[in-house]
Amino acid sequence: MTSCLRLSDISRCFQGIIPSIIATCDSRGVPNITHLSQVYLVDDEHVALSCQFFNKTRRNLDENPVACVEVIDPLTLQAYRLRLKFLRSEKNGPLFDRMALRIDAIASHTGMSGVFRLIAADVFAVESVELVAGFLTEPVNEPEQHVSVDGMRTEVRGLQLVSERINRACDLESLLTEVLHALEDYFKFAHTSVLLWDDAGRRLVTLASNGYGESGIGAEVGLGEGLIGTVARERRPLRLTSLEGDLRYARAIRRESARSRTNLEAEIPLPGLPDAQSILALPLLVGNRLIGVFMAEDRDPMRFGEWHEAYLEIIANQIALGIDRMLERPDDAPEPAVSHPRPASLPLSGKAPARATGARCRRFIYYRSDDAIFVDDQYLIRNIPARILWKVLGESKRTGRTDFSNREMRLDASLGLPPVKDNLESRLILLRHRLQEKCPDLQIVSTARGRFALRAEAPIELVER
Amino acid sequence: MLDPQRIRRCLEAGTSVLVGTVDTRGIPSCCRASAITSDDELKTVAIYLPIATSQQTIKDIATTHRVAVASTQVIEHVSIQLKGTANTARLARDDEAALVEQRYRAFADVLFKLGLPRRLTQSVVHWPAFVVEMRVEEIFEQTPGPNAGARLR
Repeated sequence: MTSCLRLSDISRCFQGIIPSIIATCDSRGVPNITHLSQVYLVDDEHVALSCQFFNKTRRNLDENPVACVEVIDPLTLQAYRLRLKFLRSEKNGPLFDRMALRIDAIASHTGMSGVFRLIAADVFAVESVELVAGFLTEPVNEPEQHVSVDGMRTEVRGLQLVSERINRACDLESLLTEVLHALEDYFKFAHTSVLLWDDAGRRLVTLASNGYGESGIGAEVGLGEGLIGTVARERRPLRLTSLEGDLRYARAIRRESARSRTNLEAEIPLPGLPDAQSILALPLLVGNRLIGVFMAEDRDPMRFGEWHEAYLEIIANQIALGIDRMLERPDDAPEPAVSHPRPASLPLSGKAPARATGARCRRFIYYRSDDAIFVDDQYLIRNIPARILWKVLGESKRTGRTDFSNREMRLDASLGLPPVKDNLESRLILLRHRLQEKCPDLQIVSTARGRFALRAEAPIELVER
Repeated sequence: MLDPQRIRRCLEAGTSVLVGTVDTRGIPSCCRASAITSDDELKTVAIYLPIATSQQTIKDIATTHRVAVASTQVIEHVSIQLKGTANTARLARDDEAALVEQRYRAFADVLFKLGLPRRLTQSVVHWPAFVVEMRVEEIFEQTPGPNAGARLR
């Protein structure tokens, strides 16, 4: 490569914030020019381009394997021109997988799976890099570097503190809450969430979030669906910058494809920030076993760099191990030797509302065919957590009992908990949060390890349909 | 299929205009243009290129005459590519400065909507300019998707 500039010196140009351009030429000497959504930096001597359609650029490279690419630094707008020589197309391997993940995630998110996909990663030798002199009226001052030695020390210290919080957490809920708060405190990641993999339902369920007006707890994503579902399916991290640009590009393809096809999937709404520009999603894995997905997002299109991805991977590994530890933990609270139903503190179906004077009656309806519970005609919860709630509400109604144990839930086959890795604790967290959001008059309170109680502040009516 | 309205949109103010050329050895070059206009339903187009950044482009045109121009509505990614030949390039006249300025400002407005601060776009050089008069021989669909590359004219 001839020039004193190294590709790593201009690495910001390869984040896909500002589209690049590529000129090629066919064997008859006819030039072709087009935008590129992203040029991938492979190493200091190579770049890669994504081949999504067998287009004119691609055909020209087969005939005449040279290209000129112009990239732009998104923070200064300085342009650089790269002279490239086409080397090969990779249709598998680590580079292909890394590039495909990004495209698959965007395609899935925009309902374009299978239409908008990576055909090959085209690898080029970079023969020269030159600054386009005269592109700007005057050089723009370099923005301050994000990572200084002091900054790294701070971040390593932050890593240590987050790790400590994970290690000290006494239950799953505090582990997730503490981690997300610590990430905001030490790393300023203000919008984060954790989704847990429910093997029984074959879906990811949001179990904790930080920085959103509505918690979104209980929101579900199928394997392979959207950005998060793709990360879970592929079990690989995904870092997206300039998300809006990627989505606009994919939507242009969707619009054009829709002119000839009608069976495109419905677009999945992006969970979290409606105007997110950067996303970092990491699979939570123990070995190759999927525990869940951690996601951080931001309105700054350049919020997450390679450094963030690297240390968040360390944190994600710790979160995964922490969650796994919580899920494996035995319930060590002994069963009560004798069942002594306490006086009903849960006022049901017009029974004496001990602590609910003046509160309006809350009506719970369980729809058996949908396996879902609604409270006052608003959706509350479904599947296993719904069955758990219905069981304890019914039991409380029949016997006046309000204290329950995880063990008895596990022994009740009608709830449909998987025999191993039943995620009971996470299902109870989900239930607790959904009640907090939709019916704060009814609470599920943890009373000891492996035990919980129902607390009602209003009369409860139960209806089954 | 030629959709005149769709093509016209790609020549309006606020579009991104890219120019590709090739030298006698078959080495391609690229450059960003400041403006594109056509007064004769795209039989010919005038492309305005900043002098500061288009030296290689002008050299290529002088020797091979081959030009490719991509004009794109960047928000919707609607795009066409014009291919043709150009025999001359001239310095833009003073009375063309207002047109170039107006076209570049419109493009900067679009970039601002996409999040690029004006303090940055204001620093991009777009004047003085060369004008390349190109005879349009072919028009292609360039909007990303399955129809990209289809010949429109």
